[in-house]
Amino acid sequence: MRLLVPTIVLLAMPAAAHGEDLVSGLSQDQIRITSNYTGTNITVFGAIEAIAANDAGAVRDIVVVIRGPDADMTVRRKVRIAGVWINRDAMQLHAMPTYYSVASSRPLAKIAGKETLERYQIGMVNVQPESVGTHNPKKAEPFRQAAIADRAHAGLYSEDTSVEFLGNSLFRARVPIPATVQRGEYTAEVLLFRDGNVVSAQTTPLFVDQFGFERGILNFAHREAFWYGLTAVMMAALFGWLSSLMFRERA
Amino acid sequence: MELYLPIAEMSVHWLIILGMGAGVGFLSGMFGVGGGFLLTPLLIFYGIPTSIAVATTSSHLTASSLSGAIAQWRRRAVDFKMAAVMLAGGLTGTALGVSLLGLLHRSGQSDLVVSFLYVVMLGAVGGMMLNESARTLLAERHGVAAPARRRSGHAWIHGLPFKLRFRQSRLYISAIPPLGLGLIVGILSALMGVGGGFIIVPAMIYVLRMPTNVVVGTSLVPMVVVTAATTILQSVQNFTVDILLALVLIAGGTIGAQMGVRIASRLKGEQLRLLLAILVLIVALRLLYGLVATPDELYSVAVGTS
Repeated sequence: MRLLVPTIVLLAMPAAAHGEDLVSGLSQDQIRITSNYTGTNITVFGAIEAIAANDAGAVRDIVVVIRGPDADMTVRRKVRIAGVWINRDAMQLHAMPTYYSVASSRPLAKIAGKETLERYQIGMVNVQPESVGTHNPKKAEPFRQAAIADRAHAGLYSEDTSVEFLGNSLFRARVPIPATVQRGEYTAEVLLFRDGNVVSAQTTPLFVDQFGFERGILNFAHREAFWYGLTAVMMAALFGWLSSLMFRERA
Repeated sequence: MELYLPIAEMSVHWLIILGMGAGVGFLSGMFGVGGGFLLTPLLIFYGIPTSIAVATTSSHLTASSLSGAIAQWRRRAVDFKMAAVMLAGGLTGTALGVSLLGLLHRSGQSDLVVSFLYVVMLGAVGGMMLNESARTLLAERHGVAAPARRRSGHAWIHGLPFKLRFRQSRLYISAIPPLGLGLIVGILSALMGVGGGFIIVPAMIYVLRMPTNVVVGTSLVPMVVVTAATTILQSVQNFTVDILLALVLIAGGTIGAQMGVRIASRLKGEQLRLLLAILVLIVALRLLYGLVATPDELYSVAVGTS
């Protein structure tokens, strides 16, 4: 949600000043997790509209940021005590995105300055939790970095330069959505940079959810937890009984 | 061949899961153990979250212990009175274990405690079995009869109150030791995703002094109920039982157990025990290594806990 605020401000201001606007869309606005779901790619495409004829020489870049639902994370650090590695220090990171992916037309460092990237949380290193469980931000920093590294290792945070320009104004990017993504509301934000400044941005929601048989099981497990557990037991009992019949026939 | 697990929220290769179930079922059939002590670490190693691996394994154990219990009951090798006493302790233990797991989980020490318990218990049981079966095999090789076990000691058991007569086991002992054993099984079942057969069976033989022919059957009955209760409790309290994962594991286990029994009939009891001891010790050493070796990543991240 907090991304929407700067977006709205942006849309109102500089885009109008330059007369340049952005149209973008997603190959799908919903990712359906079903029994054979093993992860997918979504294509983000769009066009820069109304490039002034006398302004064609300006450097334009496109950055696509997809963020997943926020969640609280607990990051723990192991310490060796009496030869055994034990979790000792822990840090709460409140409202970190569970998924974060950025695709850009060039390496991020070449597109904009450090401050701009930090402000818009562009780039994995700039992903920030809403708040941390300490008053000393320096203490939380190694834990934040560890959380980012952990997510990147799991393929849930990623960064690449996969935005391609097809001609002068059309662009396209493919963003991987791995099998382990959480269900929930995602946002795809497309930012247009002109000479290192954000001049236009557009945010599109993207929904990830389970469907069909899997969804039924998930609902059953959460709404009728007791009966779900009993079903699991009955299933196990049926197999156990069948198996004992097979043993007897052989004996 | 990918299968998406709705509770674990990840996709797995179902043939690998089926193979794991079959492998563990094979060992169950061969050695007469539930195999939870192997299955839970295997699932975690494959990438299934620890809490889901532990909870789902308990439903796998319901299937394998029920199958064994029915077979033993046909042979009249079950002391139901003893089983009932152990069950009373077992259900109490399950409730304790599920709460304890929640507590440990919140403090971030659940993985450590679970691994530590595995190392201690598997190390002790594996060491004892290895020692005994090696000695018996060596004695046979030298043409000497294995020395008979002393049936003395453990007098403290006979000093305890609340004595009950267990006709099938031909015992007149206090209800406290079987109750305590049941309690341990319940806690282990909830905490480690194991049936506890590898601890309970030796304890029944060496501590309770039950006749060996009724030990296995009697230990299986409370295990069926305790693992079933664990499955339901984990479903209700933690939403951690994945029924699809359980289905594939159990199907594999049923096939594997059949093959295991077939192979076991061709091997000698002592050889089987030696093999099982080595297997148990390997798992224990691997887990111990995980505790003391410098980890690749000092930080660990838990999502959604607060």
